[in-house]
Amino acid sequence: MTWTRRAGELAVGLLPIVLLLGLWQGLVFLKYAPPTLLPGPVTVFSRFFSLLGDPQFLQHGATTSFRLFSGFALAVAVGVGLGILAVGNRVVAAILRPLIRVLAPVPKIALYPAFILTLGFDHSSKIALVFVDAVFPILLATYQGALSVEPKLVWSARAAGVSQTRALFTIVLMAALPSILTGCRIGLVIACIVVFLSEMINSTDGLGYLLVRAARNFQTVDMFVPIISISILGLILNAAFNALRARLLVGYPEDN
Amino acid sequence: MKRIADIPGFPPLMACIGLLVFWDLVARYLAISGLPPAWDALKEVPVILADPEQLLNILSSIRRMVIGFFAALVFAIPVGLLMGRSRAVAAFFNPLLMTIYPVPKAALMPIIMLWLGVGDVSKILVIFLGVSLPVIYHSYQGARAVEQKMLWSAAAMGMGAPARLLRIVLPAALPEIMVGCRTGLVLALITMVTSEMIARQSGVGNILFNSLDLAQYGLVYATILIIGVMGFVLDVLFEKLREAVAGWAQPVHQIAVGSA
Amino acid sequence: MADSNPVIDIESLSKTFGTRRGTSHLAIADISLKVGDGEFVSILGPSGCGKSTLLYIVGGFEAPSTGAVLVDGKPVAGPGPDRGPVFQEFALFPWKTVLGNVMYGLLEQGVDRGQATDRARELLAMVHLSAYGNFYPKELSGGMKQRVAIARTLAYRPKILLMDEPFGALDAHTRTRLQNDLLDIWERDRKTVMFVTHSVEEAVFLSDRVAVMTRSPGRIKEIIPIDLPRPRKRAELLVNRRYQDYVVEIERLMELPPEEAQAS
Ligand SMILES: Nc1ncnc2c1ncn2[C@@H]1O[C@H](COP(=O)(O)OP(=O)(O)OP(=O)(O)O)[C@@H](O)[C@H]1O
Ligand SMILES: [Mg+2]
Repeated sequence: MTWTRRAGELAVGLLPIVLLLGLWQGLVFLKYAPPTLLPGPVTVFSRFFSLLGDPQFLQHGATTSFRLFSGFALAVAVGVGLGILAVGNRVVAAILRPLIRVLAPVPKIALYPAFILTLGFDHSSKIALVFVDAVFPILLATYQGALSVEPKLVWSARAAGVSQTRALFTIVLMAALPSILTGCRIGLVIACIVVFLSEMINSTDGLGYLLVRAARNFQTVDMFVPIISISILGLILNAAFNALRARLLVGYPEDN
Repeated sequence: MKRIADIPGFPPLMACIGLLVFWDLVARYLAISGLPPAWDALKEVPVILADPEQLLNILSSIRRMVIGFFAALVFAIPVGLLMGRSRAVAAFFNPLLMTIYPVPKAALMPIIMLWLGVGDVSKILVIFLGVSLPVIYHSYQGARAVEQKMLWSAAAMGMGAPARLLRIVLPAALPEIMVGCRTGLVLALITMVTSEMIARQSGVGNILFNSLDLAQYGLVYATILIIGVMGFVLDVLFEKLREAVAGWAQPVHQIAVGSA
Repeated sequence: MADSNPVIDIESLSKTFGTRRGTSHLAIADISLKVGDGEFVSILGPSGCGKSTLLYIVGGFEAPSTGAVLVDGKPVAGPGPDRGPVFQEFALFPWKTVLGNVMYGLLEQGVDRGQATDRARELLAMVHLSAYGNFYPKELSGGMKQRVAIARTLAYRPKILLMDEPFGALDAHTRTRLQNDLLDIWERDRKTVMFVTHSVEEAVFLSDRVAVMTRSPGRIKEIIPIDLPRPRKRAELLVNRRYQDYVVEIERLMELPPEEAQAS
């Protein structure tokens, strides 16, 4: 695709976002919506940028990020590990498959009260929730990716004297990498969403809590700020992830 | 010879029983505070379901979920198909969708409640938003993969553009759309529970946190069980429906992209 | 010659696969074959007769149903660096560069990086790919990929080469070049080679003996020693009467109607 065409498409893509923002500002400007119910985008974004210099706000953001990354990292470790193991070991697969079948469609958020009861109100219950929510897409993607790895890749390694276990965690893992990364990306977005919700439902800090606190005090501007923050965080993480993915997958065939 | 593990439904059943037994043993022998034995939770399930008020609560949750889900389908499938067949439409919507993708839909609950009140409309709207995104995404992917040649020959036979979308693109993209619907259905349930947890007005999500506040731990876990079973049953039912409607396509092992 | 002290000793080997419908399918039946040290043996046979299966069992990638394979007198229990496979599908590691692929076996065997690099460069020179060390496999043509695959296997110096239609997916021109290259390499260090192919000419051109298999279930129909002088030159062979006779004889052998009705 040519550069101009890309730029053109980007412009077309920005159009609805600009239109929406314009409509939003227009509604407020023409006083169709009372500012207490719908503050204008200028107000909201200037509040967002001024808060970026506020250490307290940043502290809440850091708390959310900490929970997000802890839960996500745990999910990657367990999801990838178990997924690869299930391909190498029949017993693990026989236990794991029905468990996934039953647990994957269960709304994990329902487990949140149980985590609060057993792990307390602090970080651990949120991290646990992020973990259980993010682990399934990663586990499934890893397992399916690893299952469809060309066996001759493994054979080539085995013939060079590599052990079965080592081949599993080097060759199968690397060959399944495109699929694993797809799972991780889905897991990352889910982690973003879930950490925010967990803080909204039950927390005394974090971005989600800021939203609830603002809602309680009818500070509409401050209600929009956390939502914008999590959306921007998600976009940044997504972009970072895509960059990482492009680096990791240099040699792989395109279509994936 | 047929192995026991090949009987459909047997391994998941074993998984359920295994999980419950595991939970029961852990609770009994490790004595984790806040974790009652599975049996205590199971005993509470009939109590909830026999209480007409709670049952009504749950049923109205489900009603909102179903309405939100179908409203989302009616909106999202055409949008996704159009995006898949037209570069311009796709370029128009993609960045917007990407921007709202990481926004927790249930988090909009407080704002929407501010505008539309605490009634059904707010809750249905949130579910609608939650379901729309994956359905749009999968319909888009499905429509994009439709072979151009198939459309050319249809056009050569004199089929107009709307007819092509309805009679060629829709059926060809159906398997992928069904994947989106399945994800959407699980998401509808998740969004429903989550928004009820946040709104704390009525519904299953509310039962959960009310009993938590009242320290009725058996009830908390019983509600978790009920929600879990709902998720699993919905998924199984939908899988059956998918087989009936698009069974000719390869069963897609879908990675459930699910969170409100 | 092969019988005195065989490097590969295949003893009444058979392999049955379970099918999805629960029935079983006999892929190869009662195959016995001895391959001597430094001998080049080709396996010819109709598609689906079990040539790959035979090679995979010798490689230790699949287990036989009955019978056994002895390599240097020891039963094969799994893959090992004494037997280097080259697959029709190349099976290169897409995440490694050409050099990385060729070095892989050496590094895994604990050879230090400097030495491994030297050896890998040497091999790349041998397969005329010196300039492509930093390329990824997806950036190479089919023939180049196959040369990398051969170099990767040769790198860890297997005693035996197991080649499954290595040139099957290539165009005629590339195929001829690689055949010549392979013969050069083989003349240099006389590895024991089991070479599966569909092409009668290729088999006669390369081999000391050609084993012809029957239709499924695969058995060995006949083993033909190829008594042509080495080193062989393609241009000379093509006009060699004996070469032509071998080709015609084996082609006839393969055309013969199957001895038994098509099984299962
Ligand atoms: N993993 C497997 N499971 C079941 N059947 C198999 C398996 N691998 C091979 N077979 C069967 O064994 C028979 C021999 O297969 P094989 O691949 O060895 O044939 P081949 O001679 O190499 O054929 P070709 O020349 O087409 O490569 C075939 O009938 C095939 O269907
Ligand atoms: Mg073969």
